[in-house]
Amino acid sequence: MSQSLDDISRQLKKRHRKSARMKWLSFGALLLAGVFLVLFLADMLIKGLPAFQQAYIQVEVNYSERASELPLAAVEADVRELVSRGYLRLIPNRMEANPDLLGTQRMEWVLADDEVDQYLQGADSSLSAKHKAVVDRLTEAGRAELQFNTGFFTNGDSKLPEMAGLASAAVGSVMLLIVTLAFAFPVGVMTAVYLEEFAPDNRFTRFIDVNINNLAAIPSILFGLLGLAIFINFFGAPRSSALAGGLTLGLMTLPIIIITARAALSSVPDSIRHAAFGVGATRWQTVRDHVLPLSMPGILTGSIIGMAQALGETAPLIIIGMIAFIPDAPTSFTQAATVLPAQIYTWASMPESAYVERTAAGIIVLLSVLITLNATAVYLRKKFEHRW
Amino acid sequence: MKRFAISSIGLAAVMAATMGTAYADNHTREQLRIVGSSTVFPFSSYVAEELGTTTEWPTPVVESTGSGGGMKLFCEGNGMDTPDITNASRRMKVSEFKRCQENGVTDITEAMVGYDGIAFAQSTTNDPIALTREQIAMALLEKVPQDGELVENPYTKWSEIDSSLPNREIRVYGPPTTSGTRDAFEELVLEAVTEDMDIYGGEGYTNIRKDGAYIDAGENDNLIVQKLENDTEAFGIFGYSFLEENADKISGASIDGVKPKPEAIGSGEYPVSRSLWFYIKNSHAEEVPAMADYVKLFMSDKMISDLGYLKGIGLIPMPEELLNEWQEKVADRVELKLSDLK
Amino acid sequence: MQTDQILMTFFAGVILLGALGFYLGRSKAARTRAGGTHMHSQPDQYAWFAVLSSAGPAIIAAALAAIVLGVLETAFPGWLAVASALGLGAIGLFLGLNRIRPELRARDSLERTVKWVLLGAASVSVLTTFGILFSILFEAIRFFQMESFWYFITGTEWSPGDSFLAAAGREGGGDGAMFGALPLFAGTFMITAIAMLVAVPIGVSAAIYMAEYAPPVLRDVAKPVLEVLAGIPTVVYGFFAAITVAPLIVAVAESVGLEASFSNALAPGIVMGIMIIPFISSLSDDVISSVPTAMRQGSLALGTTRNETIRYVVLPAALPGIISATLLGVSRALGETMIVVMAAGMRPNLTANPLEDMTTVTVSIVSALTGDNEFGSAATLSAFALGLVLFVVTLALNFVSVMMIRRFRAKYAVNNL
Repeated sequence: MSQSLDDISRQLKKRHRKSARMKWLSFGALLLAGVFLVLFLADMLIKGLPAFQQAYIQVEVNYSERASELPLAAVEADVRELVSRGYLRLIPNRMEANPDLLGTQRMEWVLADDEVDQYLQGADSSLSAKHKAVVDRLTEAGRAELQFNTGFFTNGDSKLPEMAGLASAAVGSVMLLIVTLAFAFPVGVMTAVYLEEFAPDNRFTRFIDVNINNLAAIPSILFGLLGLAIFINFFGAPRSSALAGGLTLGLMTLPIIIITARAALSSVPDSIRHAAFGVGATRWQTVRDHVLPLSMPGILTGSIIGMAQALGETAPLIIIGMIAFIPDAPTSFTQAATVLPAQIYTWASMPESAYVERTAAGIIVLLSVLITLNATAVYLRKKFEHRW
Repeated sequence: MKRFAISSIGLAAVMAATMGTAYADNHTREQLRIVGSSTVFPFSSYVAEELGTTTEWPTPVVESTGSGGGMKLFCEGNGMDTPDITNASRRMKVSEFKRCQENGVTDITEAMVGYDGIAFAQSTTNDPIALTREQIAMALLEKVPQDGELVENPYTKWSEIDSSLPNREIRVYGPPTTSGTRDAFEELVLEAVTEDMDIYGGEGYTNIRKDGAYIDAGENDNLIVQKLENDTEAFGIFGYSFLEENADKISGASIDGVKPKPEAIGSGEYPVSRSLWFYIKNSHAEEVPAMADYVKLFMSDKMISDLGYLKGIGLIPMPEELLNEWQEKVADRVELKLSDLK
Repeated sequence: MQTDQILMTFFAGVILLGALGFYLGRSKAARTRAGGTHMHSQPDQYAWFAVLSSAGPAIIAAALAAIVLGVLETAFPGWLAVASALGLGAIGLFLGLNRIRPELRARDSLERTVKWVLLGAASVSVLTTFGILFSILFEAIRFFQMESFWYFITGTEWSPGDSFLAAAGREGGGDGAMFGALPLFAGTFMITAIAMLVAVPIGVSAAIYMAEYAPPVLRDVAKPVLEVLAGIPTVVYGFFAAITVAPLIVAVAESVGLEASFSNALAPGIVMGIMIIPFISSLSDDVISSVPTAMRQGSLALGTTRNETIRYVVLPAALPGIISATLLGVSRALGETMIVVMAAGMRPNLTANPLEDMTTVTVSIVSALTGDNEFGSAATLSAFALGLVLFVVTLALNFVSVMMIRRFRAKYAVNNL
């Protein structure tokens, strides 16, 4: 039985068609992943961008004797519900600080209530029809407008959506990362140096090796249980502090730093080590003066990636009490602190609709920071990478 | 030589930063620490924020740990690393009080701040509905009496329970077992109904059916409203504050003939309401001076009276006399006794 | 004296001792060498020797004291510990300086110490694993003393709620709390399965494209893009799943006449799948790329098409690696917390319908530890029992995964994996 050439060429064509199909199919998969990313980012931008604008209205503020007792009395009844309580409650304080204000009346641009903001942004708002009409009138008179929301970057958390900002969470995140880095970087690099440069190939070394791999796979929430048991209950680090959180996340990022640092160390060619040994250097001298400096770019890249991961982590922090109402930025490592992802999590569970856009805006900020960090890592790798 | 100097200075800095401050604020503390119920959390953090912005004190830290978790942390001892105040959506339990005593936390003052009603709500697209507690219990219990016997809950539609009710499928979104709202719902509706029925043996029966008619909706309140908006046949169980915030989207059923209105809840007419509390650890009064101002602010007319701010975010104020009574008690820091709780 | 002052005193003391050791050691060594004696090591090495012999004992003594103080709250006052540690350091300094002689092999002992310190750092990761195990194990054992282990593993009813009533000293209604975790395992499994159904086909196909077809320019773009997917925090994915994907699924389901819960298992599953794509694609890409070129050349030389080469030669060779990547993905999906906490349901639900709400192990851990339950109650301790299960399962998965990749590595003599 022999096949005709026609048959064979037909078969061949079919096989090649199949091959091309496979190629496009696999390309489609990659494309799909890209599409997911684009859709996701677009969704966050659409939801979050309104939060960067905030409604202000111009009202007549009456610094009367009565207003120093009852701040609500400082503004006319028809706009009382439209002005942010965050502004009103400070009137007595301002009058105390500046006694000249007493008895004066002036037009001021003030922060509007979150429902006014929602209404001006064109979103659903639970304002009554009467209040909507007042806002419309103000807008026509040029007395209500959207301005850039600086408070979002300078305020801490707040129960009033229009006052809520990221500042305290951002400070908390920075402090947490300092602790994480101060712990995980030295320990991680030392572990990597030991395993790559010093360790004998025995059972214990292999055990450590396997163990580091395992550690990388342990769910992050379990690190929270560890942090609670060891750092808070045993060593007495204060609950919800950057210290407890940072150490917990430090243990979690340890495997990443170790693995990347080992890769960086092992990419330094042996000829360097041999040359150093050749002039009489000890192992430690070789590592300290030659191998480590040469692998530093790789180690730093890995550390940045580890820090980026720590910056985005939330689950273990729930367990150690960092999901809380903490509007003041911490000033020491032992004070209660919250972090950016924790802030996002708390806002996500708030009932007011104005928090949805703030959550998305917080996500935009967090993602920008993370992408910057990762881009820096890629840049460093590209710039300092040695090709041996 | 130089490198050594630099590294030793660096080392000192890192150690001082990470370890040295670790125990820095161990004995006096400016910042008040509050834990406890997730129901009181919004009110408590509102007061905290107000204290932080209008006074010299730093804003107190408020953590939502649940009533039980809060009591556990609160009763751990008198050390500065324990919370100063714990919020609760129920009164302190006798067992918790004893635990506090055992750990030396003896000087506690109890404060009641108001009420929270539990609303049985539906989408505003429906006609208003009136239910009784018994009807709700029959719709949601795992086992219900039928022909003198307890059987697996057979009802799938409201009209099967009572023909005057609409022909809608029984589907109720409610809080998970860990939530204080669920606890209160079980106690105020299910237990109250079943206690008086001989068939349950004279004891409260609170098992909620698990065949999907009752849907654990989690703590994400945004989603529950969304669910009711889309699923207009269903009901949801919320804290009253939540109903008020979303008055444009959901409306509450009247229960035993009473609509969930603040006045009705405050007067106790509305049957499904509970009181909200916080507990003060007086042994911390000196070390944490902000505590006095916080308590004063929370108990002030400005916050919890009928004209107070917290009403705006869902707290149902106490009647004036009761309020004055509590304000006085708290101002005098009356010590909590075991006999108060029994 | 307060704890922070004690600590500050200690660190100041240690640094002072160390600095003193360095200067004295160095100057003594330098003097000896200036005198013309041949010395075994460099002056700096003698200096470090002195530092180690003074600060070393002090730090070790202080660390021991700290641990003892951690275990027994008031065994002895803190200042006593600091004083004796620093005293020990001073003695060490004296002895160390005395030992600096030309024949002292300072370099060797320095080398040994460095090695021990590094070993100490390396054991931190081992200690972490055991720390996690023990911090879970003890509470889990307490739980299993209260509740039956077999029912926990095989029972189908999870309702810890009633034990809350019991713990509160109130009459528990009906038959009490039930801790049958099967519905939680089922929910976890369902969401993980959905995630893998999304992640494995897309991840592996993308890896095939990148390793076998993609022009270098595209590869350079695609890799970082996928890495961005991996770098998005899980809390962000959770928000996306709850606010965007879940309502979308409900709308789609409704349009085809199906009923979907807003906390359906599909939304967190799909979003988790998207999150895991890069883990699978990146490792698979590495594995496929390291299948020896000779195998491809051999296959192509036989006249196979590219597709056939990939299907019948490259993929079978890379299979252990791909399975290993998948297992890592599974273990990540099992332990993922934020996405399910924010988007999945709270109801223990034994169902095969992904449109219903289901809850998972991690959700139950979080809600048990942050709920209104009393701490010593079985309801709270169940978090640790569930944590133990999670720990064991992810560890086992990881173990198998490592074995697979090792086999692949051994077979093709690949070293960069």
